Amino acid sequence: MSAPTVRMAGRCFYQLYKLSNSAGRTAAGKTGIRLFSGALVEHAAGPWRLLGAACVQRLAVISEDQRPLEARFSELMHQMELERSLMSDHELRLLDDKERLRRRQAVDYDSEEEEEADRDQDIVLTQDLEDAWEQRLKLFATQPRTRGEVDARVERSDRWLAEPLLLLTQQEVGPERLWLLPQTPWEGGETLKTTAQRALSSTPGLDLQTVFLGSAPCGLYKYRLPRSVRGSEGVTGVKVFFFKAVLRGPLPPPAPSSLWVRKSELKDYLKPSYLDKIRPFLLDL
Amino acid sequence: MSLLVLQWRVALTQSFLKSQASALLQRVTSSLPTPLCRLAPTNERQYRTMPTHGIGRWKYLLPKEVPRKKRDRLQMKAIRATTATEYGSLSVKVSGYDMTVVEHYSQYIHNLCNRLGVRVSESYALPTKTTEVMLMQEQGTKMYIDAVLKTHERIVQIGSMTATLCPTFMDVVLRNQPEGVQLSVKEHAERDFLERFKARPQLEGLMAQVNQRD
Repeated sequence: MSAPTVRMAGRCFYQLYKLSNSAGRTAAGKTGIRLFSGALVEHAAGPWRLLGAACVQRLAVISEDQRPLEARFSELMHQMELERSLMSDHELRLLDDKERLRRRQAVDYDSEEEEEADRDQDIVLTQDLEDAWEQRLKLFATQPRTRGEVDARVERSDRWLAEPLLLLTQQEVGPERLWLLPQTPWEGGETLKTTAQRALSSTPGLDLQTVFLGSAPCGLYKYRLPRSVRGSEGVTGVKVFFFKAVLRGPLPPPAPSSLWVRKSELKDYLKPSYLDKIRPFLLDL
Repeated sequence: MSLLVLQWRVALTQSFLKSQASALLQRVTSSLPTPLCRLAPTNERQYRTMPTHGIGRWKYLLPKEVPRKKRDRLQMKAIRATTATEYGSLSVKVSGYDMTVVEHYSQYIHNLCNRLGVRVSESYALPTKTTEVMLMQEQGTKMYIDAVLKTHERIVQIGSMTATLCPTFMDVVLRNQPEGVQLSVKEHAERDFLERFKARPQLEGLMAQVNQRD
């Protein structure tokens, strides 16, 4: 799963380097200089319009339910470990207390002789401690793992807690409004990662704390504009660079025109060609 | 008088017997063929075609003793600096209360690095930190120990990671993070290496004294 991504990302990085190098050449008139992230490109007058997009994931909050085979195996392992284990201090103390109680109730119990050794023992029995702990456990209420009505609402970020979700926003691309990963055009003098960060912060109503997983893009979506639109500025097409990010901190409240969808629901919202290019870097592992 | 005579006779017979024995030996040695019987002195080795080759060897019969290698003091591996295309030395720290889960997760990360071709320079554990949770008694001011929690930490130190691989690697590691385990990835520094060693208060006190005098 990772190999195609690395190749694709490697190719993107190479394209980025080529683009920045060509821009440097036209602007400054120098040749053969490598421009890496240290040197920022001021103005790219190329035929491709660049966009930076952020692929924000809310990772799973709780673990997935076990499949039947996994459940049986884990139960078997647990039983085996329990049978082979030694007793802990608490369990040994429980047995000791039971033994002492049994001795006290025996016929030939001599209180003076036997209580000499037991004089230093605690008043609180281990069984009482266990009862107290059980009372505290009963006061604790667990939450259900799946909540039907919350999972059905697409704009909530706390739906499907056992699965990772992806953020989609509605944007105007040409004449139509589409559901896409948040993206924004690149401006001269900034890195594409900064563009992706700006795409998130410029979406209205979206207040997220994210951590970007790296400075290199993870995917590229490239398309040519139809000839009717191309004409004036000489723009051949558009290249969108994707950067991976992960949601950190508390789950955000629902925002207008933003959705949190699972990977299986993406086909209902995204265009097929776009989804084909995105799918390789959305991992299932 | 008779005693003396007896002794003299005994001595005579003993010397007679000795001379007889030596004469016998000489006769025996002179009768056998010379090359085979000639006993070699012990400081000479026989040539390898001789049947007696290797006659005095005995050290090969003793059990082999493996020499005990004295463990050297742990040396720090060189810390790589971050370049434009590669991250330098990173340390991935996994910590939590459940030791089996923490260890399994650190092993998972190590195996993932091996699969992806990321070089792992070191993989070690930091000393366990014990936390005592003390609760106040309902009636009274005395605190009693409610629970003892042990925080286990494991570190996987990565030599170098390319910038293109990093987002994929981090994504996989985060997706498979188990519950109750904290993950932290940061750049490795010399300070982190020195954290592995126990504090030696006496040595530090002496060094402080020496420095003060200077």
